Amino acid sequence: MKSKDIQVLINGQEFKAKEGELVIDIARRNGIFIPALCYEESLKPYGACRMCIVEIKNEGVKKKITTSCTLQAFDGLSIETDSEEVLKHRKVLLELYLAQAPNSSKLKELALRYGVNRTRFRQKIRDDDPLNNSCVLCGLCVRVCSEVMSAGVINFIGRGEKTRVNTPYFEQSELCLGCRACAEVCPTGAIEFRDDGDIRIAASWSNTKVELKKCSMCGKYYAPVKLDKKIDTLYYYKDRDDELRDMCPDCRRKAIARKMTLIAENEVEKYAK
Amino acid sequence: MKINTLEDLIYIREVGLKKLKPRDKVRVSVGMATCGISVGGDVVFEELKEKLKNRDDVLLTKTGCIGFCHVEPLVNVFIPGKGILIYHHVQTKDVKKIIDNFSEAEKLDNVLCQIDKWYHITSDEIVYGGGFTNIPRWSELGFFKPQRKLVMRNSGIINPEDIDEYIAVGGYSALFKALKKMTPEEIINEVKKSGLRGRGGAGFPTGVKWELAKNEQSDVKYVICNADEGDPGAYMNRNEMESDPHSVIEGMIIGGYAIGAHKGIIYIRAEYPLALYRLQKAINEAKNYGLLGKNILGSGFDFDITISKGAGAFVCGEETALIASIEGDIGRPRPRPPFPAQKGLWGKPTNINNVETWTNIPLIVKKGGDWFRGFGNEKSPGTKVFSLVGKVENVGLVEVELGTPIKTVVYDIGGGAPSGKKVKAVQTGGPSGGCIPTKFFDLPIDYENLTSVGSIMGSGGLVVMDENTCMVDTAKFFLDFTVDESCGKCVPCREGLKHMLFILENITKGNGKEEDIKTLEQLSETIKTTSLCGLGQTAPNPVITTIKYFKDEYLEHINNKRCPALVCATLIEFEIDQRKCTGCAVCAKRCPVKAIDGIIGIGETFRIDPNKCIKCGTCLDVCKLGAVIKTSKGVVNEKQGHTSSY
Amino acid sequence: MNKEHVENIIRRYENPEGKILGILEDIQETYKYLPKESLEFVSKKLGMPLSKLYSIATFYSFFNLKPVGEHIITVCMGTACHVRGAKDILNNLIELLKIGVNETTEDGKFFLTTEDKHFSLNTARCFGCCSMAPVIRVDDKIFGYVTIKDLPKILKAYGWKSK
Repeated sequence: MKSKDIQVLINGQEFKAKEGELVIDIARRNGIFIPALCYEESLKPYGACRMCIVEIKNEGVKKKITTSCTLQAFDGLSIETDSEEVLKHRKVLLELYLAQAPNSSKLKELALRYGVNRTRFRQKIRDDDPLNNSCVLCGLCVRVCSEVMSAGVINFIGRGEKTRVNTPYFEQSELCLGCRACAEVCPTGAIEFRDDGDIRIAASWSNTKVELKKCSMCGKYYAPVKLDKKIDTLYYYKDRDDELRDMCPDCRRKAIARKMTLIAENEVEKYAK
Repeated sequence: MKINTLEDLIYIREVGLKKLKPRDKVRVSVGMATCGISVGGDVVFEELKEKLKNRDDVLLTKTGCIGFCHVEPLVNVFIPGKGILIYHHVQTKDVKKIIDNFSEAEKLDNVLCQIDKWYHITSDEIVYGGGFTNIPRWSELGFFKPQRKLVMRNSGIINPEDIDEYIAVGGYSALFKALKKMTPEEIINEVKKSGLRGRGGAGFPTGVKWELAKNEQSDVKYVICNADEGDPGAYMNRNEMESDPHSVIEGMIIGGYAIGAHKGIIYIRAEYPLALYRLQKAINEAKNYGLLGKNILGSGFDFDITISKGAGAFVCGEETALIASIEGDIGRPRPRPPFPAQKGLWGKPTNINNVETWTNIPLIVKKGGDWFRGFGNEKSPGTKVFSLVGKVENVGLVEVELGTPIKTVVYDIGGGAPSGKKVKAVQTGGPSGGCIPTKFFDLPIDYENLTSVGSIMGSGGLVVMDENTCMVDTAKFFLDFTVDESCGKCVPCREGLKHMLFILENITKGNGKEEDIKTLEQLSETIKTTSLCGLGQTAPNPVITTIKYFKDEYLEHINNKRCPALVCATLIEFEIDQRKCTGCAVCAKRCPVKAIDGIIGIGETFRIDPNKCIKCGTCLDVCKLGAVIKTSKGVVNEKQGHTSSY
Repeated sequence: MNKEHVENIIRRYENPEGKILGILEDIQETYKYLPKESLEFVSKKLGMPLSKLYSIATFYSFFNLKPVGEHIITVCMGTACHVRGAKDILNNLIELLKIGVNETTEDGKFFLTTEDKHFSLNTARCFGCCSMAPVIRVDDKIFGYVTIKDLPKILKAYGWKSK
């Protein structure tokens, strides 16, 4: 079923959209900034961070303040992304975030954007926090690990304000692929990985260790062995050159370039004859 | 046997009536819901069983709870031709007296009342008798008089573990009518006409909700009974399931037929093992009679019910979290849309109603929507069961028409606060509700009125608070609850409530500042506006209402470092009144931290060391002379005990 | 952990509705807590990541991840119990049983066990026995109208010796 073309008003400006599209997508497509910590296009809307709240201006709507990552557009919808009411609540939320994750510089930047440079609330600092007192429990890492990577290494532990994200029993995981997708999507830079020789250490995830693969050309360790295998099972490139299989991206590029040149030289020679 | 025809149903009804109202036998039944069992109903039952094992003139059974928990254990004795007598506070030593001489039954001193006749609504009024002289009829007691029993139509009368007795009082006749004589549209219309609103708290019109689910196109749909009664201070759903489980099941089958679902699930909290047992038994009984399963009553309609157990998470009362929990996930609410009516359990259209909502359905189908509208008021028809608890004399489950004033419930039914204390407020709606001060006690209880004073109807908890209840402590209590029960998904609820709790803790420790009140109000507003689900959106209500109506108590804590109700431990002191002390040393012996010392026999020598005292109140509790007193900067308590003096 | 037993438990659940919680509850009924091996076993059998099962076990307050005492005492902290002094009951039990207050499990639940593993103490949100507030439960038995005075007597019935 094709969705209807509609018009929506964002901050008084008209935009074309499809019926049922998420307001945050429409806004971002058109260069309008809406802050969000837990939203990621490739995942289902989650609605946890509440930063992307907007105010609905249409009459007869009961709940005026709502999250744009769950708001489905309809024809004539009119919203404001930074109304007085929205800003008031967003600032309080940012204060709460600053208290929860005092070490995140990304978060501080975002807060400053809204003129929030301090928090009234008691800051939570734990010396032994594997997430460096920067986690805001947006759940992106958990979701990307299970929904995108189908690995299920980490999950929420406990509930309420005691919730944490980590591996079960806070023990090293055998399932971790070392793909770093979790660190990649983390909006606050809380997740730490480091490579040490042939080992990648997921420092945030109970120091889980993952074996790295060595480049057959230059000898550099470049990718987790398990990730490499998983990619093979998921998308096996039939025409993938066996010679290229065990090379790091750099060497691979060089090798391909070399091959291309050889082919080109052959062609030139052909013409020359 | 399978019930297929009206004749079959009438046949079972006759069988059931013989058990409920035996022609030539005395029927003794013990109130055995969890409340009755816990105060000794089970021991009484065993004693009766032992003493009656060689008697074939007596039929011994169980019943549920009639609601008067204050006077349990209750024993009903039906004597043919004379009626039912209810004995209160029955102990094993009373058993012999009760069964030895039925002809003098009314002469025992713990007779509460008699039941001459009872209107089960789904059948004609059943006349049990009325032949006991000088014994008040049940409906004449102050506790029962203002009540109207629709939901509790069978509670405490029939045996909840016997389907025959349910059928005897007209049970499953509404289902019969629905399946044989009504179309799904007609049923939904009748429910819409009745004006029934969700009894779980939000008050959404049930008929409209059903229609939404019915209109969704899908070959698989679900109906769910929300029995995750998590509100602290509310236990009406437990009793409805324990005392009349078939009324829930009958309602669900009708609902399934109306919206086109063939599968029902009861999501019940793990803290209710007896309710679970009785529901499962009822489901099995209904299956045996062909009231569940394939081709129910020969109508061609298939419907089954399974039970799904919760595991201790208040947030699972929220519909999307409940669905997640049934699916075997963590009970974290999911964003809406999609709504459960569109994509609910396993992504299929799902209709969820509260236990009490389901029990109303057979009545509406049997008697019609207009009949139901005859109870309650225009916007809130019908009745509501409240659990009247806290600082009130007659604790119990009371069912009144919506629109009944608060004062009727607290004073006429509840008898006010015990030992002459002054009632200060009632708390409704659990952690989502608010504290309503006495100045609003003329207010008729309905959804809109409670909302207008900052509270909500909720599932029906009605906790009475008296002058010894500290309102700041009460707010703190609820915040502590919601902080603990917040699922932790969205930040306003998870972090915001935590900081509200910090602030309240500071205030109750005498470290509050006046600007704290403003911060609390600001946080409340953001949490209410931006939280993902109903838990967060309502969690600030107890704080908002106590600040609004009892601001003076907050200021006393903040400015004068004083707790006027003598509750907040940091702000109170325990002392020994040496004029009253005789030096018996009971307090010193029982003090868990050895903070009390003195010379035995010499009253004047006993002192409490304030540096050691942990303010547990044991001394106050164990002193028989009232020599231990509690103070808070000049406020002195006059009561004679700590935990026991209600 | 007995594999066969856990396998039987898993087999009990034909319906997908309520299956996971049901299995975990039944395991806990057997062992009084959820042994780590049992979660690992269920994870393998159902093809469900251990991280998810652990998440569930730590989310719901009903589940214990550590071995518990012989008798479990639960203090109801519902509203009715609260206004009738449940906190004092709890504090007294902590004193009587001599259990540290600040000991919580790694998932943050309040669950204390005495050194001799005779008693475990925890709290519940509401038993729905509000009419008899304050209420405590020892194993499966509910005690209503509890006073501080009654506590030693109740504990003694379960083998408590005053020190």
